[in-house]
Amino acid sequence: MAECDAEWELCKENIQPLRQGRTISALHQALCQQQEGNHTALNQQKQAFESELRMYDGDDPLDVWVRYIKWTKQTFPQGGKESNLSVLLERAVMLFTADKRYHNDVRYVELWIEFTEGCSDPMDVFRYMQAQGIGTMQAALYIAWSEEHEKRGNLKMADRVFQDGVKCGAEPVDKLHAFHRALQARVCRQMMSSVTDPQRDEDDDEEEPQRSSLAELKAKGKKKAVVPINRANASAGYARGLQFKQPLGPKHNTRPVIFDENKVPETVPQEPKFEIWTAPPAARAKENEQKPEKWSNVKLPMKSRSGLSVAVPPPKPSFQPFVEEDDQPPAVTPCKINPAVNSVLSARKPCRLEQTPLKMLQERQLLMQTQTQEDGKSREQSMYCRDLVYSGATEFCFEELRAERYRQKHARPADHSTN
Amino acid sequence: MTGANEFKLTQGPDDSISAVKFSPASPQFLLVSSWDCSVRLYDVSANSMRMKYQHLAPVLDCAFYDPTHAWSGGLDNQLKTHDLNTDQDTIVGTHDAPIRCVEYCPEVNVMVTGSWDMSVRLWDPRTPCNAGTFTQPEKVYTLSVAGDRLIVGTAGRRVLVWDLRNMGYVQQRRESSLKYQTRCIRAFPNKQGYVLSSIEGRVAVEYLDPSLEVQKKKYAFKCHRLKENGIEQVFPVNAISFHSVHNTFATGGSDGFVNIWDPFNKKRLCQFHRYPTSIASLAFSVDGSLLAIASSYMQEQGDVSHPADAVFIRQVTDAETKPKST
Repeated sequence: MAECDAEWELCKENIQPLRQGRTISALHQALCQQQEGNHTALNQQKQAFESELRMYDGDDPLDVWVRYIKWTKQTFPQGGKESNLSVLLERAVMLFTADKRYHNDVRYVELWIEFTEGCSDPMDVFRYMQAQGIGTMQAALYIAWSEEHEKRGNLKMADRVFQDGVKCGAEPVDKLHAFHRALQARVCRQMMSSVTDPQRDEDDDEEEPQRSSLAELKAKGKKKAVVPINRANASAGYARGLQFKQPLGPKHNTRPVIFDENKVPETVPQEPKFEIWTAPPAARAKENEQKPEKWSNVKLPMKSRSGLSVAVPPPKPSFQPFVEEDDQPPAVTPCKINPAVNSVLSARKPCRLEQTPLKMLQERQLLMQTQTQEDGKSREQSMYCRDLVYSGATEFCFEELRAERYRQKHARPADHSTN
Repeated sequence: MTGANEFKLTQGPDDSISAVKFSPASPQFLLVSSWDCSVRLYDVSANSMRMKYQHLAPVLDCAFYDPTHAWSGGLDNQLKTHDLNTDQDTIVGTHDAPIRCVEYCPEVNVMVTGSWDMSVRLWDPRTPCNAGTFTQPEKVYTLSVAGDRLIVGTAGRRVLVWDLRNMGYVQQRRESSLKYQTRCIRAFPNKQGYVLSSIEGRVAVEYLDPSLEVQKKKYAFKCHRLKENGIEQVFPVNAISFHSVHNTFATGGSDGFVNIWDPFNKKRLCQFHRYPTSIASLAFSVDGSLLAIASSYMQEQGDVSHPADAVFIRQVTDAETKPKST
């Protein structure tokens, strides 16, 4: 066991956090098994779950899924592909979409919420759930949904979601109210701190990792009068508002910059420079060493006219600013927020997920509908028990299914004889 | 139903048939493994059962090592060898899960077993003892030997090619070119490639040589499908067997049909009559004169009542098995 303790220490950073925590014994066991490279026990357990999924004939099929998923989370602390967790969640969630009795089952709703955590478009999933009536009576849905809104800085919506929840009569009400109050408290605190003492803005900024660094730069610049005063003023206004976190940051910031440029005919050749300036926001987040140089370059010609320009924002359209193709990337960069939400390591997976989960679900439903409608026409029909072969995280062959039936059949007589 | 060129084996197994294999020496002897926990040896020319031995659980596959030794494995996880002269059993070893396939590789003189424990094990048939365990990425569903190469088909549609002379690494990792579960893989007698069949009425012909030119030649086709009331019923293709002389092959599906294909001209050479139920296993005799056809329901549509299981022995002619163009 001592070795295992050491093992745990060594693996800490690879262990995915779970909302409900981990049982330390399960963690020890999982890590020990991995250390020994002994996968047979694991595989056997997994196989047992897989066959239970297929052979279950009670009246609560969800139960097996819930236990399997729980086991998977405990047994593969690193998460990752081999755990098949995302596949399992997806399958479980989709399997019971048509099963009305589970729609407001806490366990099922929890699975859905967990499923959204792996999605790049949790909002769509929540909306889908609402439309399908899944979890609409469960406080958990509204809490998760609201948190998602809050994460994106959309506090109004976060609040409204709670109101919806209360309106729908979601249970338990106490929990819903508690979370709602907590949200309101957070909002108030934020408002107070930003309104009452703007001086502390800078501290707040440091506390909030999601804060767009571009705005921060300007706010600071203003106070230290490094950057032209008027222009900075405008952006500082944005910065003090509630919604720093909004990924719109760059847009706001680019506006005053471009427009200043336009005012000065002689600086037209410098347009591209601005695009270059806006292009690498990623670097900005890390270091601002390089910017001051450019700022200084830009500043000189503008100073004389900056006073005028502030009063005349509309002129922007009069000049067609040079927009590079990679104008989009800057708009996407705020998705720095997204990885934090996603918590997926590989860069490839999210894009896959983006395409798959919800859309696939909807497509599948559509397909099923059309299939049932057009069944009479010209569909293919698989002449084997496809559901059984392809449910769960791994496929089964006929022989495996039959072996399971054989085992069940022969386990029972053996029990009788021993009794 | 059985014509002059075909007969049904008497004293057949009491339960479903999992595999049929002809002796490597003569077309006279046939091994049949079954879900009734036994392996039987038949004298085909006399249409009689010569011998029978038991496992603790259903047997999923069997193979000849030489004309006098049978090897078999199944749900009891045990690999057994049986001396057909002395009628004596030896347990050679075990897997951690049921053994799905047993094959012999004459080039390297080694027995190969594949199991749902996600491993392939090699066995020295002379001692006999374990000669190595090789982890596969998934449960092994089928395997075939092409010269000194081993082609392993696993769950998750993976195909792995190993070099039996150097099992230190996987020679090729492939993905099945078919969309659905791999049912069976059999290597060409000329060792250049293999044929892979899937659970959804398709067969792929693939080549081992990874060069682009050769890979261009690979193809797949639909088969074992029946149109009924406008619905296309798609059946699993469970069995493949190669004609050792002509390099043509037979496929058997859950539709109860057996087709013989000419892979070079991409033509079907013939289709036999419909057998009572699913074709679970096929085997050409070593000289290519006989085809053993195991017609046996595999519970692919659940545990329901079905026609009796039987092994048919069919005499095949050159007209049925020889490529037309030559």
